[in-house]
Amino acid sequence: MNAIEVQDLRRVYKTTIGVIRRKIKEVVAVDGISFSVRRGELFGVLGPNGAGKTTTVKMLTTLLIPTSGSAHVLGADVVSEADLIRARIGFIFGGERGLYWRLSGQDNLRYFASLYHVNPDDSRKRIPYLLDLVGLTDRGQEKVEGYSRGMKQRLHIARTLLHNPEVLFLDEPTMGLDPVGARELREVIRNLQAEEKTILLTTHYMFEADALCERIAVINHGKVVALDTPKALKNLVSDLSVVEVEVFGVSEEILDQLRQLPGVDTVSVEDQGQKQSLHIHTAHGSEAVPTLMNTLQAVRVGGVSIREPTLEDAYVRLVGGSS
Amino acid sequence: MTVRKFRSYLRVILSTFEMTLRQNVLDGFIVFTVLIQPLLIALLALWMLQAKSGEQAIYVIVGSGMTGLWSSLLFISGNSITAERWSGTLEVLVGQPTPIQVIIFGKNLAHVSQSLGSMIVAYLVSSILFGFHLNVQQPILFILSIFLTVIAFVTFGLIIAPIFIMNPGVQGWQNAMEFPVYILSGFLFPIALLPDWTTPFSYLLAPYWAARALHGTTSMGTPLAEIGFSLLMLIIFSSIYIIISNFLFRKMLYKTREDATLGFQ
Repeated sequence: MNAIEVQDLRRVYKTTIGVIRRKIKEVVAVDGISFSVRRGELFGVLGPNGAGKTTTVKMLTTLLIPTSGSAHVLGADVVSEADLIRARIGFIFGGERGLYWRLSGQDNLRYFASLYHVNPDDSRKRIPYLLDLVGLTDRGQEKVEGYSRGMKQRLHIARTLLHNPEVLFLDEPTMGLDPVGARELREVIRNLQAEEKTILLTTHYMFEADALCERIAVINHGKVVALDTPKALKNLVSDLSVVEVEVFGVSEEILDQLRQLPGVDTVSVEDQGQKQSLHIHTAHGSEAVPTLMNTLQAVRVGGVSIREPTLEDAYVRLVGGSS
Repeated sequence: MTVRKFRSYLRVILSTFEMTLRQNVLDGFIVFTVLIQPLLIALLALWMLQAKSGEQAIYVIVGSGMTGLWSSLLFISGNSITAERWSGTLEVLVGQPTPIQVIIFGKNLAHVSQSLGSMIVAYLVSSILFGFHLNVQQPILFILSIFLTVIAFVTFGLIIAPIFIMNPGVQGWQNAMEFPVYILSGFLFPIALLPDWTTPFSYLLAPYWAARALHGTTSMGTPLAEIGFSLLMLIIFSSIYIIISNFLFRKMLYKTREDATLGFQ
């Protein structure tokens, strides 16, 4: 039996617009997605902001009722058997909220342990162990309001492990962390993987998904656009090379011209303050550079480099190069 | 419910009680609502009663304490779910295996219990500052009345909180609900002084029966049957509130999961 089974899951949000003549507007956040996660697997859900990642996790953690379709976690239905699921899963959502800031980290864990019916004797042993696991032993007695964002995130991880859950849902756990904090958190996730926990991880950091996940579902506009191993996803762009061009001010018109060039698959722009970095996926490799430079004649160009495609490039191809 | 489950829930109630008290000590709004405001009401009333006997002073002390209980219930317990939602903990609380009613019960118990502190402070002020000689006529029944009053208020809070979260418009009337209940429940003066048509409204309020029980046990000459009837009404009201709150919590949880309003967007 798979740990997670999702079949044609759909979720529509309704919002009202207007003040006097109110209209109901429907937004499709998740649009009929299907996937399954094996027991002990670290499964990634990758997608841009607003793709439907958090909505999917909220439905799987019983916090949101799907509009249609079905989802089962450890064999139990997320709507009708929510109580059976809640005792066996753990979840964290990215961000600093969801903790009692006026209490210490240790008191937060003690309180949440009681909510999960962890035996007081077990709780006394487990809390120091978890504080150590997430590197908060020295700060456990301090109030959470004095914690950095990374410390709060790590405390969330400790909280979610209190009852030793079989399945973990980690929704963008490294979001907003500094590089060192994010690396430490990834190390914690790797350790959990070693304990054979089933983990569903959502992220929009490609390297994170590449480094941690056994399989990845790429979702965009609420739909699964690809589902495979990181290696297989990278193979989707093995026929391409990536030309990176540093430019200072590039117009949409020139970008469109680049996209029209023969052999060019996608063009994406990454803003880097005053300058932009163009990522041009092309089948012609270094031979494409003169043509590209010719098109960029009117733009001030910095450095140019050519590299092999990464998971990020596969992702850009799958979700479109407009970002 | 199994014994094991009952013990787990009891542990949750106690740990929520402790956790809430520890947080509240640092909250200025809560300290004002449960301690300062009832104390000010008691001081004003005691000044007005300086020429009267100590029996009326104990009426004022109990009454001002009850104003603290009601304000605490209305503003703090009523907002208990909303506050969790704003702090981002509501999703965590709903997504764990303990029913959220049990948690809110523990929170309400802490809020209501701490507001009893105002009654103790008013008692001390009355005897030390004003020199009133204060006697509780039926001490055992008084303690039983306090216990049943706390339960009635806590369970009443279990009704208010889900109503407030499902109907934010109703929450806007919070301020307007404070003083009418002080008056209709006879906290500071008997409801016999009010027009007759208001009496049925008083009978529908658990705070009225609580005030009647507490005033009855502290005053001379109240028949035991009258006190017993008030206590019985408190038990009946608490039971009704629990049944209604179970229905309201189920409805609220389904609605918030359906409308995606568990988290603060």
